[in-house]
Amino acid sequence: MNIANPLTVEGAWVWVAAVLTLAVFSFLYRENPFYRFAEHLFVGVANGYAITFYFHRVLVPYLIQPVGHGEKLWLIAIAMIGALYFTRFIPKISWLVRIPIAVVLGYSSGAYIPRAIDAQIIQQLRATIVTRASFANTGAGPGWQLGIWAVIIAVGVIATVAYFFFSAEQKGILKPVSRVGIVFIMVGFGASFGYTVMARISLFIGRLQFLLGDWLGLLN
Amino acid sequence: MKFWEKLLSIDRRWIYVVIWVVVMIPLLMPFEIKPRAMPPVQMLFDYVDSMPEDKALVISIDYTPDTEPELHPMAISLLRHAFATKRKVGILAVATVMSVGLGESALRQVTEEFNSRATTREDSIIYGEDVVYWGWTTPFITVLLGMGERITNVFPVDYYGNRTDTLPIMRVLKNYDDMGIVVSIAGSSVPLSWVNYAHTQFGVHMGCGITAVSAADFYPYLNSGQFTGMLAGMKGAAEYEQLVSEKMVELGYDWSLPRKGTEAMSSQTAAHIAIMAFILIGNIAFFVTRRRKQ
Amino acid sequence: MTRRIPLILVLVLGIFGAVAFMIPHPAVRGVDEVMRNDVIRIITAFSLVLGVGSIIRHHLIKVRRKAEHWPFSYVTLIALAVSAIIGLFGGIDPDSPGILFRAGGVGRFLSNFHMQTLYENIMVPLAATMFSLLAFFMASAAYRAFRARNFEATLLLIAAFILMLGAVPLGRMLIKPLPAFAEWILTVPNTAAKRGIMFGVGLGTIATSLKIILGIERGWLGGGGK
Repeated sequence: MNIANPLTVEGAWVWVAAVLTLAVFSFLYRENPFYRFAEHLFVGVANGYAITFYFHRVLVPYLIQPVGHGEKLWLIAIAMIGALYFTRFIPKISWLVRIPIAVVLGYSSGAYIPRAIDAQIIQQLRATIVTRASFANTGAGPGWQLGIWAVIIAVGVIATVAYFFFSAEQKGILKPVSRVGIVFIMVGFGASFGYTVMARISLFIGRLQFLLGDWLGLLN
Repeated sequence: MKFWEKLLSIDRRWIYVVIWVVVMIPLLMPFEIKPRAMPPVQMLFDYVDSMPEDKALVISIDYTPDTEPELHPMAISLLRHAFATKRKVGILAVATVMSVGLGESALRQVTEEFNSRATTREDSIIYGEDVVYWGWTTPFITVLLGMGERITNVFPVDYYGNRTDTLPIMRVLKNYDDMGIVVSIAGSSVPLSWVNYAHTQFGVHMGCGITAVSAADFYPYLNSGQFTGMLAGMKGAAEYEQLVSEKMVELGYDWSLPRKGTEAMSSQTAAHIAIMAFILIGNIAFFVTRRRKQ
Repeated sequence: MTRRIPLILVLVLGIFGAVAFMIPHPAVRGVDEVMRNDVIRIITAFSLVLGVGSIIRHHLIKVRRKAEHWPFSYVTLIALAVSAIIGLFGGIDPDSPGILFRAGGVGRFLSNFHMQTLYENIMVPLAATMFSLLAFFMASAAYRAFRARNFEATLLLIAAFILMLGAVPLGRMLIKPLPAFAEWILTVPNTAAKRGIMFGVGLGTIATSLKIILGIERGWLGGGGK
């Protein structure tokens, strides 16, 4: 056992991290003041961290320094628009907060639309359509096999979309196609769940690696 | 009957104890595992390995401390791969300000690993010449679109406060045209934003490292070629670590560096068995008690 | 007026944002770059005010009203103030300390509390551990709630089992082609299902963005005002 030395600066911080880790884990037994303290501490430090970076890496290089050097003085007007966020806390003029929100939301929404149409609809449609190229031999496997998988994907996509089609009653041809769709969806969700198990366990493994390795020095 | 009923109503804290023990014991007594790379991981590795020499690897640290155990090993492995193969590296954080400290931590660790063993300038990693950490700025649309024109406009100062137009690496890493691939490591859907903006408008190759939770959702983008490769969860991290380790040995860097992803796989195996056992036992108990009630 | 001005702003900037993608003219690209690099960036930086201000207000109200667990609100407020002071006056780069860490012996002592140190030893452990609790909750849910009640649920659980086994080396030891089969499930049926869902989500998101720009979707305006 090579426990971290609390008498050194580095070791003391490892102990701080370990105690905070155990404080959060204590929630598994039941809620308690140690967990609550750790939770509130995190919120405070996270916000202080955010303030630091927003100031030093955004406001200083992009606003304070240029304006301080007499360049881009029009940025003062932009800063005043940004400062309207403060009006959120003044009930009489709180409607002014809509203006900076409108600027960011409007531009972002507009920039998103053409790019999302290309990336999420057109490119994905293109990948779904089965062509002769789908049966070409590549490094991924023999051509006939890749072609069959491409056909299955195309069938699955159509069936899945049919399942979520609520504008018409699910009868006639739509019903069996929807049933096929639900099979694909359940397999997809099962795959997601299986991997979710791995994800959650991984997070816990990471914390144990810290406690057993960095803190207690039990791991090689 | 009472046995199955008792089993169904067991205090959940006993389940927690089982999980704790099942994960802890393999960490203390690990069994040797050699991860075998699946195609998405191999594709990313092969692409990074075979990029033209004048193209840089850019890593976007888009994950936060809550997903650090899963994703940090990916950043470490990518940096080791790039440094061992003498690639120029650019690092940034796009998603949230909470990511930026993790980038600094990864860069510091890997730079120290190489520089502590370097004997010549060739083997050393020099900040500003071989690697640059641009840091973080907001909002992400500014970064993703602005980097297609000129990176120094998006990041006039780097994470450490240096003016980026004074750094030698920025003379050869001006925008996406100078990048071989951008690998976004994220615990959310930020890689999809990279695809939407950077890949769609500028055609830059994209790779991603994502949590296992999101992995299944990203396969359509891998299938369409919008992602060149993908690392999924700790398993993906372990597989990439294995490939990088073998490559480093091949290049003469036989250092036996720590591999957190690989070390975790024994515990991962045990935990998966435990979860499957829980599901099976829970279902058996449920159906037995239901049949008796009927 | 209090709603009309923001709606007009959203419409004009939304159209500009969409159109700028399609027009390669240098003048348009120049304005687009200024919008992104300067205008949007600075305004977004100020948006932190909303988050931090709301948290401070929430905890001050808790303290004033002596609400449940109110003493812990002091922890948040003090931690926020101290870490903000350390960050603002201590700087970001440990090798280039701010004025807080340059004040002789006191400064040297305080440099042990640098922002990056606080990040690595307080924020990372706390955030990572809070999320790691999900492993336990998921195990408990797996035991108590995941039931193969019908065909669809059984299919989901079988797919999950194959993925869980295929993800670890044990799967390959038990059934050699299992990892490849798990990969096939992800690459073919899962891709099909997720792509189908993605079409719906993608079209929905695009439609919502369009509705915001055109002023049909007004939830972001909040209440009050005409």
